Amino acid sequence: MQNSTRLQSQKNKVLVVGGGLGGIRTALDLAEAEKDVILVDRAHTIGGLMTQLDRTFPTNNCDLCTLSPHLSEGSRQQHIELMTMTEVVAVKGSKGNFTVSLQTAPRYINLEKCTACGECLQAFPECVQFNAGLDHRAPTCMRYPQATPQAFSIDLASCTDVQALVAVCPAGAINPDDITTTREVGCAAIVLSPGAELFDPSHLDYLGYSSFPDVVTSLEYERILSASGPTAGRLLRPSTGQQPKKVAWIQCIGSRGLQKGAGAYCSHACCMFALKEAMVTKERFQEDIETTIFYMDMRTFGKDYELYLNRAKNDCGVRFLRSRPHSIVQPEGADGLSITYTVDDSTTQITEEFDMVVLATGFKTSAASRRLAAETGIEMNADFFPVTDIFNPVVTSVPGIYVAGTFEAPKDIPETMVQGSAAACMAGADLPAARKIPDDEEAVLPRERDVSGEEPRVGVFICDCGDNIGGVIDVASLVEDAARLPHVVVAKAEGHGCSRLSMDNIRQTIVDEGLNRVVIGGCSPRTHQGKFQELLARAGINKYLLEIANIRDQSTWVHSGKPAEALSKTRDLLHMAVAAVVKAQPLSDQSLPINKNILVVGGGVSGMTAALQLADQGFQLYLLEKSPQLGGMARKLVKTIEGGDIRDFVGKLIERVEKHPKIQVFTRALVVDHSGMPGMFKTGMQSGPQMFYRQLEHGITILATGAMANRPATYLLDQSPAVRTQIETQQFLTDQPETVRQWDNVVMIQCVGSRVPENPNCSRICCQAAIKNALAILEINPEARIFILYRDMRTFGFHEEYYQRAREKGVIFSRYSLDRPPVATTAGDQVEVSFYDPILSRELTVVADALCLSTGMVSDADSSEELAMIFKLPRTADGFFLEDHVKLRPVDLPVPGFFVAGTAHSPKLIKESISQANAVASRAQTMLARDAINLGAATARVEGKLCAACLICVRACPFGVPFINADGYSEIDPAKCHGCGMCVAECPAKAIQLMQFEDDRILAKVEQLFERIPV
Amino acid sequence: MEKFEPVIVAFCCHYCAYTAADMAGSQRLPYPANVKIIRVPCSGKVDALHIIKAFEKGADGVYVAGCLEGDCHFKNGNERAARRIAYVKNYLEEIGIESERLEMVMISAGMGQRFAQTATEITEKIRALGPSPIRTATAL
Repeated sequence: MQNSTRLQSQKNKVLVVGGGLGGIRTALDLAEAEKDVILVDRAHTIGGLMTQLDRTFPTNNCDLCTLSPHLSEGSRQQHIELMTMTEVVAVKGSKGNFTVSLQTAPRYINLEKCTACGECLQAFPECVQFNAGLDHRAPTCMRYPQATPQAFSIDLASCTDVQALVAVCPAGAINPDDITTTREVGCAAIVLSPGAELFDPSHLDYLGYSSFPDVVTSLEYERILSASGPTAGRLLRPSTGQQPKKVAWIQCIGSRGLQKGAGAYCSHACCMFALKEAMVTKERFQEDIETTIFYMDMRTFGKDYELYLNRAKNDCGVRFLRSRPHSIVQPEGADGLSITYTVDDSTTQITEEFDMVVLATGFKTSAASRRLAAETGIEMNADFFPVTDIFNPVVTSVPGIYVAGTFEAPKDIPETMVQGSAAACMAGADLPAARKIPDDEEAVLPRERDVSGEEPRVGVFICDCGDNIGGVIDVASLVEDAARLPHVVVAKAEGHGCSRLSMDNIRQTIVDEGLNRVVIGGCSPRTHQGKFQELLARAGINKYLLEIANIRDQSTWVHSGKPAEALSKTRDLLHMAVAAVVKAQPLSDQSLPINKNILVVGGGVSGMTAALQLADQGFQLYLLEKSPQLGGMARKLVKTIEGGDIRDFVGKLIERVEKHPKIQVFTRALVVDHSGMPGMFKTGMQSGPQMFYRQLEHGITILATGAMANRPATYLLDQSPAVRTQIETQQFLTDQPETVRQWDNVVMIQCVGSRVPENPNCSRICCQAAIKNALAILEINPEARIFILYRDMRTFGFHEEYYQRAREKGVIFSRYSLDRPPVATTAGDQVEVSFYDPILSRELTVVADALCLSTGMVSDADSSEELAMIFKLPRTADGFFLEDHVKLRPVDLPVPGFFVAGTAHSPKLIKESISQANAVASRAQTMLARDAINLGAATARVEGKLCAACLICVRACPFGVPFINADGYSEIDPAKCHGCGMCVAECPAKAIQLMQFEDDRILAKVEQLFERIPV
Repeated sequence: MEKFEPVIVAFCCHYCAYTAADMAGSQRLPYPANVKIIRVPCSGKVDALHIIKAFEKGADGVYVAGCLEGDCHFKNGNERAARRIAYVKNYLEEIGIESERLEMVMISAGMGQRFAQTATEITEKIRALGPSPIRTATAL
């Protein structure tokens, strides 16, 4: 955390309101790009809604493990001033020059002094604040063990003996005289990301939420499943404390305008949320539990979400009932809850009993957020969400004020992350040019202790990671065992090792015990190595004197069914890590100047938007487009569903790109080769009619290569003049309204070529495209009869309101199933479409003047395959580029320095592509703010006197780095070495060692593993 | 006689196989605890000496897991590893160790399922082969 004195310079910072996931992303992006941020949150700790979830889709991962490093990162950043328990009370001024009054409620605890020891909580539980409602376990204001800031908060009103409470704090941190303070801050831009709250179903008495304890909301169910929840992760019925046998979910509570007080919109994330809960439940209890989801349309439209739905259906045995039960009742004397429903194609009512019912409640803007909106003066829509720019959803009606996350519109985590970065990009652009702050890392970090002459003194710290490790094996016995190993000076159990508290404990132990080697027994070094390396640096020892034993991912998670084996394997893994860390040597990182030019591949809306944002920040851009002209798929589109003029928008975008002095455009350009590393790439390309070759040097690569309109040869497409895709339909409506006026019947078929075995995913955009065209047809020809044949209408978010409008205007929606698809036959210039209507239970035939096919999008397989090969990037099974982390890093590709935007990532709408492009521009700036790139220390070193100059390493190196120097032995430039270690394995004289993976370190692990084997 | 539990060393490359192992973890896909993973930057880094040392010390099986063909983060490390494994297999036969005790496998970062399946298959195979001749010999 940062004292306010350093940030006194006014008008060159961004105020971020709301410290949930989106706000944290915005703040981190800005801070990493060397821009100052004030992050305020009404709660005592940052983290927002995500910290209350147990797992997230589609990986069913634990949330806190992925999120908490981000949170503590948030407080670590030097450019971020964090103000919790703080609200915006007044906003004055305009873009570039806002003055904001912030009011901070008294915490009665000095954050600088509080160590979160918990003494006050034990002595005076009633005065220490906790989150009411969901968190009905031990009263603590720390919602979860990794909370930031790591401190308590006091509710003075409940306290009867203030003096005794003050006296109980060993750190002297309790200050009963704390008062509400108001402070004025200046800022150039404001980002609002206060999140949304969930619909409260208490007033809907027919759902029984207020009367039956076993009716819970989806978030409460999540808390019940969570290891840090009220039942410590055991699934128990609130009424009886017994494990339920049958659980049901009811979708769309508070969404789609169904109940009193419900929003007219679709809440976007609840289908996936319910699927996840049902799957996690099935995974945990298998045959012992039955899960049923009552739904209207399953809306799994995100990237690979359809596969998740299929997994729930086919592999996990979740039962799906398309039905909207009216009420939940508890029959007299009965223990369970009964639901009466009808199913597809039937009028018979069925009554079934369940032990628990989960209400999938939707998002709603909170009263506090509405006040915030009123204070900032941004315009809100009828659903109390901000009115935003049609093409740029983070831009509000007030210049300089941006929005992100679920406050903007209901959405899931990856889209929140995208908007968080996009808002950072927009707000950052409003700041005066970044002033360069000298790297003050030296000032923050203590001087590194020279440990070269010391005997190894190893500290072993073992996490219990909640139940993840501690729930399977006995951590105390591991600690005892580790303490007996040679060189181990201290062994400790460390709860959540990655939490602020444990990190501080470990740091202190390193200092107090004079440790010079550290072993962490916890999770994967892939995700947490950086964090612990930094911890070592802060403790004054070289960060490479570390080994992480991955005892969670490789042992307790996979061997949870066999605790004895898990314990023995965990012990082995720890022994191996201790043996290896003894051999570890201090190393220093290599760094190189970064090339700040940027290569953008793809000249569609996404590529152009990202290029313009970065070019406006003064960077040099190379924009490559495969076709002869810029514009991509958007050239074929006319209007968005909201009425935004795409042709005009794209025309202006192209003009700005072509005129920009910092953007060099290459059309008819193909990438042919690529080499280098992040910050210093070289990409060869051929461009122009002559296909001239040229090599571009750049530090960052942005892929915005788009997708293709799908065109499956079905339903008479390309055979009958009456059959068109939705894109062609929109063009036709614009070009030939006269013909449209003559149409009597129009049929639209959804999911053509999507959600089928050949292309299992949903194309996301087609439901709204069909509604958009249907409404446009009715605009031209109100007499036209329109039939939309669909499988699930996936008009997520505010699109739902257009869907309802189409229904009101008489568009007929008829559902078909994949085993009984519609049939189209030619009838002169018309098409005869036959389909089975499940409500009428009969086959219908319509002679249509136009048949519009919702064909969706597929990946541009040829070019994405080639680019994936050249750039060494992974793709999904259906050919879209695969991001680094589907939840938290949706635009970062796994290879550092590479980013993806637009439909190259997955099918999406124009405004979503633009958000991603802005997000990419923000992520790129976090890299470009630095002048040098850290290459790490895993490089190969040659021991000259052992080298026989045999040239084997020269031939083995895939990057051509080793050469024979003037002294006659092999030399490897550490700045060029990629650290694969191939030369090491090939060298017959064993003259080369790869740092961090030295042979003696690997062999130490091998030998240690077999130490205990009885022979 | 006590049931034979083989000890198997899996050298896993950081970018693919090790990531797949983490994914098997996060998806809670069980596989035999007999498999102990050692992380290396690239499967091409695994030295013939490391493999031989593992057998010498008593390993019943060893496998090297790298990226899928053509997907190596370092261009061709996995192909080099595969060639080296083929060579070491011959050598093992010469000194009287069944070459089936050593395998090269290729697993991409997203294949948690395949990781768990491979670990299970290899463990079963080694279990069927019985203890390594070196373990038996040194026990005498």
